[in-house]
Amino acid sequence: MNWAEIYPLLWQSTLETFWMVLPSAIIAQILGMLLGVWLSVTAPGGLRPNPLVNRSLDAVVNIGRSLPFIILLVILIPVTRLIVHTSIGSTAATVPLTIAAIPFVARLVDGALRDVPQGVTEAARAMGATNSQIVRKVLLPEALPALVNSFTVMLISLIGYSAMAGAIGGGGLGDLAIRYGYQRFETEVMIATVLVLLLLVQGVQWLGDRAARTLDHR
Amino acid sequence: MSSDTAPLAALTFEHLSKTYPNQAQPALNNLNLSVPRGSRLGIIGRSGAGKSTLVRLISGLEQPESGRLLIDGENPAQLSAAQRRNRQARTGLVFQHFNLLLQRTVLGNVTLPLELQGVPRAERERRALALLDKVGLAPYAKRYPAQLSGGQKQRVGIARALVTNPTLLLADEATSALDPETSASILQLLTDLQRERDLTLVIVTHQMEVVRAATTHVAVLDSGHLVETGDTRQVIASPQHPVTRALLEAHRPAVTPGNGQMLRLVTLANLGAQTLSTLARLQASVVQAQAHPLGVDAWLLLPNTVSEAELGALSGAAAPALKLSPLAEVL
Repeated sequence: MNWAEIYPLLWQSTLETFWMVLPSAIIAQILGMLLGVWLSVTAPGGLRPNPLVNRSLDAVVNIGRSLPFIILLVILIPVTRLIVHTSIGSTAATVPLTIAAIPFVARLVDGALRDVPQGVTEAARAMGATNSQIVRKVLLPEALPALVNSFTVMLISLIGYSAMAGAIGGGGLGDLAIRYGYQRFETEVMIATVLVLLLLVQGVQWLGDRAARTLDHR
Repeated sequence: MSSDTAPLAALTFEHLSKTYPNQAQPALNNLNLSVPRGSRLGIIGRSGAGKSTLVRLISGLEQPESGRLLIDGENPAQLSAAQRRNRQARTGLVFQHFNLLLQRTVLGNVTLPLELQGVPRAERERRALALLDKVGLAPYAKRYPAQLSGGQKQRVGIARALVTNPTLLLADEATSALDPETSASILQLLTDLQRERDLTLVIVTHQMEVVRAATTHVAVLDSGHLVETGDTRQVIASPQHPVTRALLEAHRPAVTPGNGQMLRLVTLANLGAQTLSTLARLQASVVQAQAHPLGVDAWLLLPNTVSEAELGALSGAAAPALKLSPLAEVL
């Protein structure tokens, strides 16, 4: 294959990857943050400790994180059909991607919030802050650089996961590499795809680091 | 029940006890004390004496196990959750490690307590800037805490503690993380603000220098018990309890008084000509002196015929220009 043939394929696949990964990442960040806040608030020594809730959430997060993505992709087919009314294609891939990323984000957010010094939280409480104010005005803003870092890590993981979306016809760069590079022995396509993925991951990491650094006043 | 003490006392402890779960010894054991409004009380003790517990009780971070705590005659335990938060907002707290929000600017830190109470932005910024100006940090409003020195951070902490116009200001080891010079300026700031705003200032510390420099009254804690209370100068002149003496003598010079002599610690206004001539008249020699914001702490070697009144007159020269209300005696 020559470059003129590879280029449109690459471009199309990159767009598919974006279409799968970006909405998933944004929704997963929001839902994962809620779950992460809930985890850290109910943890022992948290704002409102609740061992039962905490242990249950912890178990859910662990189960979510231990399922291999390729399996999640398959077992979530009924759920996907329910949400986006189809189980194949890029749009369908966003559902398992989002669900895979939520526990991941939750774990990172939980850790980021726990790293906010207890003295700061207690100072806010001694000022008469409610728990909800402590979360919104103290914990989340103080953890902002760590939250940005967690978003970057999650985005990169999702780019990796999205390579498996080909299994349900999701398309994207990973799928391109498998179909052309591996199954049709088009080595040039494989190399080009890998290069684009590499650049993409590097770019995301660079942007994420930069954003985190700009937002970090510690 | 509270009506007899409420009008005068900023802070009252009645049979106050606290034992933490999984601990055999109570952190505070039957504490009784009344702190008059407008006084500067030093609460001193070694580590583990119960100081932190007392701070946590006053700031509402812990609840008493038995007995009660009254702030301005109110028992926080009897207030609704919203009233209790309001009460907390009206108690200013200054911390050893500042506890500033690192992701907020200096101004953002000082406005936070008002923000939590829903004060409009323009109003809270106006009040915060006025206080930053007061503590000498107005030009730093847009900076972040990480860009400030320790002393500057503590000034931000003080501005933040006062932005809600509290009547009670609680400084918990506020100078322990600072060098001596910065400590002195922070203590000076605290005492100036106390007088200016007619605050009740409670300074919790393990250092007798801090008590000596900045307080009118002192309460000595040991193993959860209140072992000695009184007028700061009196307690320093004649400590009754061994713990008080130990805390005082941490800096006692290694001089053994000769026959008919005594070694006493006296706070002098200064070491000016008039003070020196008085010292000469009393045949007193200065063994060791340390300046602090409110005078000079001097260890004097002098004949033991010098009366307490004469010693008191020496200290009196350094007494802050503050009308003292007597510390209500231990209940």
